Amino acid sequence: MSAVGETLNVIHPLVSKYLRKERMPHMACPGCGIGQVVHATLLAIDELGLTTQDTVWVQGVGCSSRITYSTWLGDNVDAHHGRIFAVATGLKMARPDLNFILFTGDGDCGAIGGNHFIHACRRNLDVTAILFNNGIYGMTGGQVAPTSPIGAVTTTTPYGNIEDPFDMCQLAVAAGASYVARWKSTDFKPLINSIKKGIQTKGLAFIEVLVQCPTNFGRYVLKTNQPQEVLKWIKEHVVTLKEVKNLRPEERQGKYLIGEFIHRTDRSGIVERYQELLKKYKKD
Amino acid sequence: MSSAVKPGKYFVQGDEAIAEGAIAAGCRFFAGYPITPCSETSEALARRLPEVGGICLQMEDELASIHAICAASVGGLKAMTISSGPGISLKLEGLGWGIKNEIPIVVVDVQRAGPSNGVATRVGQGDFYSIRYGSAGGNYGLIALSPKSTQEAFDLTIECFNLAEIFRCPVFLLADETVGHTREPLVIPEGSSLKVIQRIKPTVPPDQFIMYPLDTPQVIYYPFPNIGEGYGICVSPYTHTSKGYASTSQEIQEKMAKRLVLKIIENLDKLVRVERQYMEDAEFAVVAYGGNARPAMAAVDMAREKGMKVGFFRPIIVWPFPDREISKVAEKVKAILVCELNIDGQLSREVARASQGKAGVFHLGSGGVEPHFPAQIFNEIRRLYKS
Repeated sequence: MSAVGETLNVIHPLVSKYLRKERMPHMACPGCGIGQVVHATLLAIDELGLTTQDTVWVQGVGCSSRITYSTWLGDNVDAHHGRIFAVATGLKMARPDLNFILFTGDGDCGAIGGNHFIHACRRNLDVTAILFNNGIYGMTGGQVAPTSPIGAVTTTTPYGNIEDPFDMCQLAVAAGASYVARWKSTDFKPLINSIKKGIQTKGLAFIEVLVQCPTNFGRYVLKTNQPQEVLKWIKEHVVTLKEVKNLRPEERQGKYLIGEFIHRTDRSGIVERYQELLKKYKKD
Repeated sequence: MSSAVKPGKYFVQGDEAIAEGAIAAGCRFFAGYPITPCSETSEALARRLPEVGGICLQMEDELASIHAICAASVGGLKAMTISSGPGISLKLEGLGWGIKNEIPIVVVDVQRAGPSNGVATRVGQGDFYSIRYGSAGGNYGLIALSPKSTQEAFDLTIECFNLAEIFRCPVFLLADETVGHTREPLVIPEGSSLKVIQRIKPTVPPDQFIMYPLDTPQVIYYPFPNIGEGYGICVSPYTHTSKGYASTSQEIQEKMAKRLVLKIIENLDKLVRVERQYMEDAEFAVVAYGGNARPAMAAVDMAREKGMKVGFFRPIIVWPFPDREISKVAEKVKAILVCELNIDGQLSREVARASQGKAGVFHLGSGGVEPHFPAQIFNEIRRLYKS
């Protein structure tokens, strides 16, 4: 049996291959779901054969971003809070040959950056965006988010949240993203496949993952510090797109739909359209 | 590069000259949001950039446009955005990201009468301090150039791009509605005769390259590797180590703040650009900048015709402020009249500070809408000259 210290020195092969060892361990709280999603992302990257030379990680601000920032062995670009899609637009237009994987949060993407998100979907910018939805502002200590469930008690809704939560996937579909899906952090295989599909899809791929936040969502909303309790709550509050058809409207209330919402291949995006424009109007 | 430049003599607005200056400087990415009085620049670039293989986007707002240009510059393209008044307020949010990560970009402010929406179509000069100090958090130096004519709008835009590369920082072109909308002759020389600084690239392999030179804060002409070049760069909103990793250490914060300030103030000799007229024997000086320098200069000419020993001084690089040059003016003259299009006295305050009490400093302000008229300034000169 090895000592605890030795166990910690074992480096996962995906970490050696893709991440900065000096940035490990990352700063996620114990029981946080973000690590699971990063793991799935690395497996998707690995299975597709992407490299640290051709792929850039882009972040915003919040747990999603602070935990993943400057861990990628290639280039890391971390935007101001909410500006991730604006930054990604500049990056992708300047370097259409590179793959961009975005890590954003429900506050970053759904609140302060909502408008940029809508317009990135409308432009169908060819990037893969992974939204970590923990239903709360984690990094700042448990304030209500636009994704917090109705009734949720948080540090800024001591009497319970009176606002309905935002469905970011429906928003992405309506705004024109090519690929939109939602999973739980424990839907490991579907999540890996979904990220792969997202990377391969031309246009904006938006993958929302419901991640457990025992530190803040657990503490304030569910009154628990146990990750498994938060996971149990998530499990009880999701239905698949297939299952939902058999539910009565009142049974759908407060449920997160899980699955692929859209996968369209017929809508080109701003990157290709700009290339076409240049072919037509560029003078030698 | 040179084929992108269209040499010749034109009769255009300052806003259009800015667009051509940007193209001549190698700008290949522009993101903007419509706003008066500078939509003409966006419109000109929307036509011209695709012709030279560049990208021109109209973003959803000012925040998106400044962040997009910063990112495009990180991606390797020289980039610019433009705005005025309320749009500049929004740009200042993204400006901090550009400053902190030492991203070369050019931001153009065509000032209009404010505050808030003010008078969208008419001139003002109220952003002198807000562009310098408006990005929250402090701890940075800033470079801003101010043109007085269509020709200077072209020339100084190129200079802004060069300084952005040399100093690895955002550089402002602080224009105003008078300059933006004045239609007058513009001479565009052959591209080959223009001095254009290209992005400076590292000469050492990635493992030896220091992205942020915190231990040599004064260094300029420092390379900026872009994404996709194998350097594994880290760009973020956080206080960073020399590698770009987020840090909460006081020592690192101190070093980073010093880097952002010292790279400017330790190289002040490269950042002095002023115009002087009749200063040799002057006993009284008039100071103005941007479009308002024109009526000020006309008033000085009127005073000279009347035999008054009045000189004219104009900062062209307005930030960093030319303290030493103003101090020299103050040593020479009895009084200085500062003419600017704001009531609160922004340039006047800087002139008073730099004069260190060696001369009396007087403020001739206006809320904007109309520029100063030469007669207005002349009357003030005459009144103060006598006393």
